[in-house]
Amino acid sequence: MAGVPVSACPHCGAEIHESDAFCEACGGDLVGAVEPAAALAPAGYPDVHHAPFTAGTSILNAPQQQRTVACGYCGGAINIDGFCENCGAKAPTRRDHWTESPAAWVGAVCDRGIRHARNEDALATMATESLAGNGFAVLVVCDGVTSAPDSDQASLAAAIEARDHLMAAVRVSEQSPIPVGAAAIEASVRWMTAACRVAQVAVIGVTERIRAAAAQRGPVTGSVEPPSCTFVAAVVQPQRLITAWCGDSRAYWLPDDGEAVQLSTDHSLASELIAQGMTRELAEQSPTAHTITRWLGIDSPTPQPDTATTDLDRPGWVLLCSDGMWNYATGAVELAGLVSQAIADGATSPTTIAESLAAFANDQGGHDNITVALARVEGTSSTPPEEA
Amino acid sequence: MATYTADVFQNEFLPDGSAEVHAVVTVACTGAGQAGQSGAGDAAEIILIDTSGSMDMPSAKMIAARRAAHVALDEIHDGTLFAVVAGNTGAQMIYPLQPSMVRMDAAHRTAAQQYVAAVRSGGATTIGRWLDTVRELFNTVPAAQRHAILLTDGKQEHETPAELDRAIAAATGVFQCDCRGVGENWVVDQLRKISNALLGTVDLIATPDQMEADFEAIIKRSMSRGVADARLRVWAPAGSEVIFVRQVAPTVEDLSDRAVQMSPLIREYPTGSWADESRDYHVAVRVPPAPVGSERLAARVEMVVNDQVMAKGLVRAVWSVDTDLTTRINPAVAHYTGQAELADAIQQGLAARKEGDERTATVLLGKAAKIAHDGGNEATTRLLSKVVDIEDPDTGTVRLKREVATLDEMALDTSSTKTVRVRREEPK
Repeated sequence: MAGVPVSACPHCGAEIHESDAFCEACGGDLVGAVEPAAALAPAGYPDVHHAPFTAGTSILNAPQQQRTVACGYCGGAINIDGFCENCGAKAPTRRDHWTESPAAWVGAVCDRGIRHARNEDALATMATESLAGNGFAVLVVCDGVTSAPDSDQASLAAAIEARDHLMAAVRVSEQSPIPVGAAAIEASVRWMTAACRVAQVAVIGVTERIRAAAAQRGPVTGSVEPPSCTFVAAVVQPQRLITAWCGDSRAYWLPDDGEAVQLSTDHSLASELIAQGMTRELAEQSPTAHTITRWLGIDSPTPQPDTATTDLDRPGWVLLCSDGMWNYATGAVELAGLVSQAIADGATSPTTIAESLAAFANDQGGHDNITVALARVEGTSSTPPEEA
Repeated sequence: MATYTADVFQNEFLPDGSAEVHAVVTVACTGAGQAGQSGAGDAAEIILIDTSGSMDMPSAKMIAARRAAHVALDEIHDGTLFAVVAGNTGAQMIYPLQPSMVRMDAAHRTAAQQYVAAVRSGGATTIGRWLDTVRELFNTVPAAQRHAILLTDGKQEHETPAELDRAIAAATGVFQCDCRGVGENWVVDQLRKISNALLGTVDLIATPDQMEADFEAIIKRSMSRGVADARLRVWAPAGSEVIFVRQVAPTVEDLSDRAVQMSPLIREYPTGSWADESRDYHVAVRVPPAPVGSERLAARVEMVVNDQVMAKGLVRAVWSVDTDLTTRINPAVAHYTGQAELADAIQQGLAARKEGDERTATVLLGKAAKIAHDGGNEATTRLLSKVVDIEDPDTGTVRLKREVATLDEMALDTSSTKTVRVRREEPK
């Protein structure tokens, strides 16, 4: 097989090529084992891993031996090629399902679902130990477009780069006088717009790398849709939530007491139908409902986000999710109900609540990849108001 | 040191509830080295020529056989264990004189060629006994790689079919055998049965003057097989059924009957010795359907030499509701499915023709003409057109010719299993 050697097989150490799905020496599966975004290490940012920041344990930080050792279906041994030696089931990789728990008040899950062969969703999170004082969290969810191959790489790169950018931006802002009022909102909108641009650059980087690898294999025949993804990000600060989105991944604010609201407005044909007066239920059933009108990608005409700023004046949950989740609970009230139900059922951490929501979506059919990110806001009592 | 690669060509996407998985696995060997010199053990070669009375009718056959054996001896490498055997009513040693094998060198080569030049014909054709003699000779040496050429001009006589079957069964796994028939009085099915079981080839030598070149080529190929014995190992998941494992290039051979069950989920298929070459295998497995979105391994296909896995190909199954994916036809699978049907249509069509069932013969040979045309089997189309008038290859409309030369019919029959390779695509 053509292609330059890029690294060593994690199973046997033989040289492997970027385009290889399996190691030619030992037959080991490389798709799940190789860090999908290993060549995409963020560059040009301050060292963002210092305390008090804790980045979610994304699959970038995970050890390379990522597969389970026993088959989840029959208990058989997993062969080095990644499949069960008894029933042949594919052992899930870390890319198929992972959780992040950067702090006790922030948790997230990214799951392949049932119907899709690959997990093209991605997420990246970070959080300080608590939301008190200068505490904050960053949540990013990106949903890779299934019809474009390699969107799983694009979505992961976009989420991680945006998260890292926002971490750096919030940290830098803490070293300067804290802007208040309109200036603060203006500043945070700038972070969000920049983070979205960083994510767009990451997607283009993936595209160019894939195209270069394909060109090395030989002349490219036919047109291949470039990798692309949606984007939704949240910076959760005491009293204030800033969200930005591009596409149909969503942000919700689910207060314990008060009206649950969807903060984002999808960039989709369904949204346009709703804007024209159709009911949400009807619009979301239309065959083109999921056609998105904005996305990140080299072919995107509008890779820019819309943003929203929300006052966090009471306890509640910030929830970000991909359409694999909201397809089964489209209204903010329904999602709030699922969160309450999970807590009633004994889920204690944001991560277990997120897992519970993803399990609900899988029980409903799991037609798409499912990503849920949650941050718990305890309200105003612990921090004095910063705004007049 | 030989190295192997295994590339899998398939459409892994199955519609909901579907169970049958098909894949073509291309196995290629490089660095095979020379027979008997790659450390695997000695190579042994036996040349068996039919010396029955009919070989002198006309005498050109016997003359050509002597010359062909002479050339074959030239090609056997020094150090290879060898013997030359005459087949008639029973089998006699031509060289060495005692029932044994000797190590080739210049002196033995010259001596053997002198004895070959003195061979006279007489007696009957008893192929079963010949195979027994060859097997017994091979069993006198500890060679790792044993190969024979069997040349005949006639069919089994003075022996029942059961006796021949028993001799074939006894020889299976002991040596490999390439069979050649000269003239038009031998039976293609008989030699094909032998060559199939003994992992060899069968071919027609239409005229005696072609024999010398053919023998030279056979021995050259045999000497270039540095991998003594390789097996195709197929794992299929619990609850599945291996529908068939078939070699599809360079020739069609159903391997299913050769399966050796190694464990409940693993079978091995002997593939004999290998030169630097590639062979394609069509593997079909019925697996328990899994929910849409699931991925399962339908087969692990491995090449095994001395119990060491040399290459591995994974045949996958991914259930999907995306009809764009599930309806894709893999060109390699489609092509080789057609090639196997082509071989069947020719063999059964010719059999029907022999039995006087012109209707069936016309349908089957018409089908063959269409597949050969579609698949680019130009040589087969040429051979077919000597047996039938091809009126429209696109629809497979043919008319049986009234007068067909026996040799043309035999040429078509023996070549029916030779396949043309599918146009290559990028391995997945």
